[in-house]
This record gives sequence, structure tokens and C-alpha cells, in this order.
Amino acid sequence: MSVMNKLTTTCWTNFYGDRRNKQMLFVLRCLHKSATSGTFGVAREEPLPERLITSTDATKKRLPKTLAEMPGPGTISNLFEFFWRDGFSRIHEIQIEHSKMYGKIFKSRFGPQLVVSVADRDLVAEVLRAEGVAPQRANMESWHEYRDMRRRSTGLISAEGEDWLRMRSVLRQLIMRPRDVAVFSDDVSEVVDDLIKRIVCLRSQSSDGTTICNINDLFFKYAMEGIAAILYECRLGCLSQKIPQETEDYIDALHLMFSSFKTTMYAGAIPKWLRPVFPKPWEEFCDSWDGLFRFSCVHVDKRLKQIESQLQRGEKVTGGLLTYMLVAKEMSVEEIYANVTEMLLAGVDTTSFTLSWASYLLARHPDVQQQIHAEVMRVLGSEKVATAEDVQHLPFIRGLVKETLRLFPVLPGNGRITQDDMVLGGYFIPKGTQLALCHYSTSLDDENFPSSLEFRPDRWIRKHSSDRLDNFGSIPFGYGIRSCIGKRIAELEMHLALIRIIQKFHVCVSPLTTDVKAKTHGLLCPGAPINLQFIDREI
Amino acid sequence: MALVAALRRLSHASLGFYSWRAAAATPTFGAWITGQRSFTVGSQPLRSDKVTVHFINRDGDKITVKGSPGESLLDVVINEDLDIDGFGACEGTLACSTCHLIFEDDVFKKLGRITDEEMDMLDLAYGLTDTSRLGCQVCLSKSLDGLVAKVPESVADARQSQDG
Repeated sequence: MSVMNKLTTTCWTNFYGDRRNKQMLFVLRCLHKSATSGTFGVAREEPLPERLITSTDATKKRLPKTLAEMPGPGTISNLFEFFWRDGFSRIHEIQIEHSKMYGKIFKSRFGPQLVVSVADRDLVAEVLRAEGVAPQRANMESWHEYRDMRRRSTGLISAEGEDWLRMRSVLRQLIMRPRDVAVFSDDVSEVVDDLIKRIVCLRSQSSDGTTICNINDLFFKYAMEGIAAILYECRLGCLSQKIPQETEDYIDALHLMFSSFKTTMYAGAIPKWLRPVFPKPWEEFCDSWDGLFRFSCVHVDKRLKQIESQLQRGEKVTGGLLTYMLVAKEMSVEEIYANVTEMLLAGVDTTSFTLSWASYLLARHPDVQQQIHAEVMRVLGSEKVATAEDVQHLPFIRGLVKETLRLFPVLPGNGRITQDDMVLGGYFIPKGTQLALCHYSTSLDDENFPSSLEFRPDRWIRKHSSDRLDNFGSIPFGYGIRSCIGKRIAELEMHLALIRIIQKFHVCVSPLTTDVKAKTHGLLCPGAPINLQFIDREI
Repeated sequence: MALVAALRRLSHASLGFYSWRAAAATPTFGAWITGQRSFTVGSQPLRSDKVTVHFINRDGDKITVKGSPGESLLDVVINEDLDIDGFGACEGTLACSTCHLIFEDDVFKKLGRITDEEMDMLDLAYGLTDTSRLGCQVCLSKSLDGLVAKVPESVADARQSQDG
């Protein structure tokens, strides 16, 4: 640590000092606004504040309706739907069903938790545009409890308020701007090389020499290798023939995390005093977090040691994201552990599910695949390895990812806890209400996207430079200050992998795979294995 | 009141922390790892090199300030501490469209190419026009001297005028 302390005397973090005060005034102003515009105290039973009363004309005042008047499924039928009929795996379909039955805004109860669902593009826009400086997604109590117990820090997913804003301010300056992410292009390309080799190897093991079963398994490893190359600045060997044991252990911890996702949802809902009776959900939750943190610590510590010895030898320290974070010390090492852990957790299966769906959709729509292939051939040919810069000349590839995420938004809904009283869709929503933004139903709404069930990547292609696409209906990465911080990294990983796959292979659906439906398991994922054939393109 | 106090504490506690690195003149992390740009900030432009910018704020007030070539309009708003409600929430990282500005036709044509990522964010801007841009993506140059950038009406303004 003494070496790290020496580093603080270097001026890495001080280049921007002159801007800090101005930025702080700016942040202060925002915080002040947020504080003064709030109505304090929950106003459920109180008369409506005057400022929230809207009117259609000067003479006739119309009061917003109360939550009590909001339609929605009954508490009992909702419990039955979710716990008895396993509604959690069909949560995306229930979104659509309920919005058809109850309208664009409706309420549901999950035990003690009241949720107001917002299933309208314009209302979603209204919520996100009204956000303050530190929006809150949902109650993360079980995550906080684990971190308190193990004396771990929170990361960007679990942190709130001040902590969140501080870490977000550091990290968004590192990995959110497209030009900052473009520097990872070569690292990601190397992982794509291995993906292609692995595809060739795996298909050769199949009986017809072309098929890869359960393609998500492969994309999971690709996404993990890709994000680790960026976050840890090292390769894990996920795509090699023999996966190293520590990587295997981590994959197991990740799988445990995802498979226990549903139980952890219950774990949050089960009161603490019931834990002695049902200990398993909480134990599994802790075990999987232990595994995830352990893995991150190993890799972060390894890099830290390398930096220390480089400095001792008087060498210049160069490196990527992790090196920068460790050297710049804008976050503590404990915060770095927590953030790389949460970023890795958030960045693996989200990317792999989307890549699985994208390849499945290409295979199911050979005509579209042909069009995209033609574009790639025109811009790059069959051999040139694409870089981040090339993607801007491949609108069909960008359209493919957008259209895939519209049909299969990996996060079918997102949450917000209102930080101020607001009127939404004619209803008074008190501060502190849990909102569910129903992205799945707005994405599949014909009003927002004509023939919404059709796979048409070209709907995202602009006809001319001032052509506008009103796309609040499909915001798979969210919008605004609390949107997905890994958006640009995920896009880069998906674009580069899909371009290369399209350059090399004709992707077809295996006869083993018929219609694959989506199911929700925390995230929206393929409900059955997707088996695909990869046939070499004629050069 | 407890919340106000908490927020004051929060803002006070943050004083030492935030670093603002959106300006084009300052290097970014990307530049750090590729080593393409050095960390030293370039020499300050001469006073005469400054570019005059007029902002028309939401309330119609005209604010005239000067910026340096290479700076983005968001940098100018921050550097000059202009009071534009909710402007630049994501600090120029292309995650929101709160630095949306509207230009006159002839100025708009001189502003340079719009990237796909900016277009996508513009699609989500409130009160979008054919001559809209994001302030964080428009960089000043001498040829833009005297440009007028209109800050569009915010969602809150629209609601108030409906209520009125």
C-alpha cells in the first residue's frame, strides 16, 4: 500500500482541478433544486397539493385521481398468478395482458409492495425526463444487507444517493463515451477471434459438422471473456478448450446467482425472522456473492501487485481501465472490487442473451441475413476485421442489435422509486412509490412500432440525415443519468461479434430447434436451447 | 427538513470529489490508455481567439458569453456557470438529451457531422426540431462566432403553461 500512497502524490487526478469548483456549483445547484422542489412527507391521505392540480381550462379545475382509483389486478388474483401459476417466468407477457385489461397505467400488489406499472411510451418518457440527480431503481435491501455483513462496498447497481452519484461520476467518464470505448476495439476483436475459432471447433464435433447446440452457452463465455478483458485487463480462457479452474468456479458462482435470482426475489420479500425456517434462499444468495467477490478480488489484487512491482522497478505504468482506476484512486480499492463485480454480473448474460436472439433471428430470416451480409461485404469485404469506427458505416448491424433488443428486451421492465410527488397519466403518485416501466409492452405496441411482431432491422435505418425515429418505446439500456453504464461496451461486443459471424458463416436454424419463446428469469432469456448451424460462406 | 439537511450534507461532502472531464481540451481516459494525446493541457488561446456565443434561455432571456475554440457548448455552460435548469445531466457522456439546443438553419449546417449515437439521443429529446443538436457534441470554432443557441422549453415549462 505504501507504493499506492506514493502514487497519490503524482498528479493523475489533479489535471481537472480547475474545473472542479464549477462542476461542484453545478451539482450543488441540481441538488438544491431537487431538495426544494420536493414535497416532504408522504401525501397518500392528505389533500392534493395545489401545485399538482391541473386544469383543462381556467374555469373548470380537474383533480388528479388518487391511487385508490387506479385500476389493476386484485391482490389475491395477483398472488395466485405469480406464485401459483409461476407468473415470474411470464412477467413480460403478463405486462401486456394487464395493460390490455387495465390500461396504460395500473397498480398491482406483491404482498406489502405496491407497484404502479407504466406501459405507455409517453408516460415512460415523462417519468424519465422528470428525474433528479440520483434516481433510485428499487429497494436493494438484501444487497445492502449482504454488503454490510461482509463489510463490502456497494457498486453502481446497489448504491444509492451520494455514494451512487460519486461512483457514477467517476465511471461514466471512463466507459460511457463512444470514443472512450472505441479504444477497446482491438481487445474485443481478439476475443472475437477466439469466438470464431471456438465455433469452428464446436461444430466439427457435431454429427453433421455444422451444428452448435445451445448457442447461449458459447455466447455466455464470449461475453464473459470480453468484459473481463476490459475490466480485469486479462484473459480468462473461457473460450479455450480447457477452461481454467478458477474461471470454472466463477462461472458456477454466476450461474448460481442467476438460478437463485427468483429465490432472491423471494429472499427480499421473506421477513428476516422467517430465515431460520427457510434458510436456503438467503444462504445461496450469500454464497453466490461470496464467489463473485472472491473472483474480482483475485484479479484486482493481481493487477495491483503488478503495478506495485512495476513502480518499484521504476517502470512506467501503462494499462487499461483497471490500471487507471487503481492509479487514479478516485474510488477506494474496496469500491473498485464492488464495481467490477457488479459490472461483470450485469455485463455477461445480458450480452449473451441478446447475441443468442440476434443469431436466432438472423437464422429465422435468411432474407434479412442476406441483406445484412451484403452491407458487410460492401463496406468491409469478407476478410477485413471491423473496428469500432467501421460500425458507423454499417447501419444494418446497428439496426440488427436495436431490433433484437426491441423484440427481446433483456430487461423487460425497469424500476424507479419516485423521488417527488408527481401526476402521471391523470393520477397523483406520491413520493416513494415503486414504478415499473414496462419496456416489453411498449416495444411490442403497434402504435409505437407498426407490425411490431415482425423482425425488421431496417425500421431503425434513417432515410436521410434529419430523419427522426421516435423511439422512447424501445429503450433497452434505459435513458438518462441512471441508464446502463455498460451500454457502449455491450454494443461494441455485440457489433464486432455479429459482423464477424456474418462475414464468416451462413447461420441457419438447426432442425432440432423450432419456435423458441422467451421466458423471464430475472432477465428475458430464451425459453429453450437455441441450436444453430454455422455454414461457411463461399468466398 | 431532515431531507434538506441530508442533501446539504451530501452536497457538502461531495465538494472534493467530482472531476469534470468533458471538455475537448482536456484528455479523456481513452486518450490515456492509447497514449495518443498527452496529458498536458494545450496553451490557452489568445483573448482575440475567443468565440462569442448567445444562449436564449428557456424564459427567453439572452445570455452572451465567450468560449474557446475546441470547447463544447456544454463546457461553455459549465465554465460560465450559466443557470440553465437541468442542462447536461450526464456530463456529456451521451446518456441523456438534456443539453438539447436549437440553432438557426444556416448555423446548423455549419456545425459538422452528427454521429449515430448523438442522433439516437436526439430522438429522445423533448421538443425536437430539424435543427436540434446536443450541446455536448457541438464544438466551438472561429467560424461559429456569434452563434445563437436556443434552449428549448422544458417538460416542466410545458406543463406550467398548460396549467396556466
